[in-house]
Amino acid sequence: MKQEEFFSSRWALIIATIGIAVGTGNIWRFSRIVAQNGGGSFLIPWAIFLLIWSVPLIIAEFALGKSARFGPIGAIAKTAGRNFGWMGAFIVFVSTAIMFYYSVVTGWCLKYFLSALSGSLFDAADNLKYWENFSSGYQPLIYHFISMAFVAVVVYRGITKGIEKVTKFMVPALLIILVILFVRAVTLPNAIEGIKYFFTPKLDVILDYKVWLNALTQNAWDTGAGWGLILTYAVYMRKKEDISLNAALIGFGNNSVSLLAGITIFSTVFSLSSVDAMTQVSQSGPANTGLTFIFLPLLFSKMSSSYLINVFFASIFFIALFFAAVTSLISMVELATRTFIDFGLRRRRAIIIVAAAGFLFGIPSALNLDFLTNQDWVWGVGLILSGAFISFSIIKYGADKFRTEIINGYGSDVKIGKWYNFVIGILIPIQVIVLILWWLVSSVGWDPEWWNPFHIENAGTAIFQWALILVLFISFNRLMVRYTLNNRKED
Amino acid sequence: MEISGVITLIAVTGLVWGGLAFFLSRAVKYEKIKKANGEK
Repeated sequence: MKQEEFFSSRWALIIATIGIAVGTGNIWRFSRIVAQNGGGSFLIPWAIFLLIWSVPLIIAEFALGKSARFGPIGAIAKTAGRNFGWMGAFIVFVSTAIMFYYSVVTGWCLKYFLSALSGSLFDAADNLKYWENFSSGYQPLIYHFISMAFVAVVVYRGITKGIEKVTKFMVPALLIILVILFVRAVTLPNAIEGIKYFFTPKLDVILDYKVWLNALTQNAWDTGAGWGLILTYAVYMRKKEDISLNAALIGFGNNSVSLLAGITIFSTVFSLSSVDAMTQVSQSGPANTGLTFIFLPLLFSKMSSSYLINVFFASIFFIALFFAAVTSLISMVELATRTFIDFGLRRRRAIIIVAAAGFLFGIPSALNLDFLTNQDWVWGVGLILSGAFISFSIIKYGADKFRTEIINGYGSDVKIGKWYNFVIGILIPIQVIVLILWWLVSSVGWDPEWWNPFHIENAGTAIFQWALILVLFISFNRLMVRYTLNNRKED
Repeated sequence: MEISGVITLIAVTGLVWGGLAFFLSRAVKYEKIKKANGEK
């Protein structure tokens, strides 16, 4: 690889990877899940899972990418063996399937930023109607196209000139905006009620297994651990770059942003909501959009008596959301692009294929919220399998060998101890098994026709789509692995 | 605010934000050492 194919410094790598981890889920999903799971009762297991799930898997992804210098297919094939390249392909597909609808969501954020800036968001008499008019028309398609095209140009420009340049601007800007919003929110009258709810644990639910499992899934999805995205950026790490300290910074940095956003949302909602605040925070709304696109615009309009100040805060909130979405979308597009580069394509050709496919396969989600909800459900849960495959490849390679030779190898600032063997070899597989079993058992209860693959959110549709993809990738495993490992070309 | 809320606030923000500050300071330290050793 040429020199420009590496991140220029440790900070550039960390900022870009924070950009992956901090997404829209930190802002809207986190607050909703906290509200649904008893406030402080949820935060305790959520913080624990940062230590026993997210950080160990981020370390694993960094180490796999840095040592293999391939995307997930090549990295898994080199670590676990050529027979398991299909696992890497599944990881790629899950993140790419998420990319298809995430570009649509990125477009929503852009649209709401422009609406807030122009004031048309506050001119709307009914926020629900405003959202329904927007989401049921053709506009999401246009914003989806703009988002995908913008990100494609960034990824086309490569690591230092594209991804690094954009994330170096967007990630700090996002953090500054969040701090401004945080300060405004906690100084609103009655904001302390929101903070009280956010941190006070409900002792009757703290041992509820659902709270713990929701905490695990939220932390996993929040940090991007197990998505294959961090693995892809790690391909561009310099050889002398550290793994474990950087991984800890990403995990803790991401969760810090979630806490910041959570306190901001709860303070704002409890201060300005005239109706039951908790109902508003915890309700999902169509495609989980209730809080962000329907309720928050209403709250921003009440933030002060000055129209201009309200427009300012609403605008910076939605631009922050857009930055969070774009920096995550960039990594998803880069993951798919990297896979084609590993197959032997040049970056220019790979990005054209990925962007065109991303736009086309995102169209159903842009035009139909039910389709988007289905894809979010199927591939969101599929991430558990992605995490399991990463863990499996390290167990197959030998956890202790992986730790001593790769994680603690050349460039490491901090050496990690034998505890890592236990976490990656035993604790994470146990968490995967428990999580999948819980999910299967509870999803049977949610839908009497749990087996029906044509329902929007049930076990049947997820298992059907996973099986389809797995059968396809297992069938083409030999071909994919051969193309990846034997056809390396200079990018 | 109830005492359990205060404890949770201190524990969670202490772990997450304290952890971030700790790892950030370590990273800065190692970068300074590398710079002092003439590494780019």
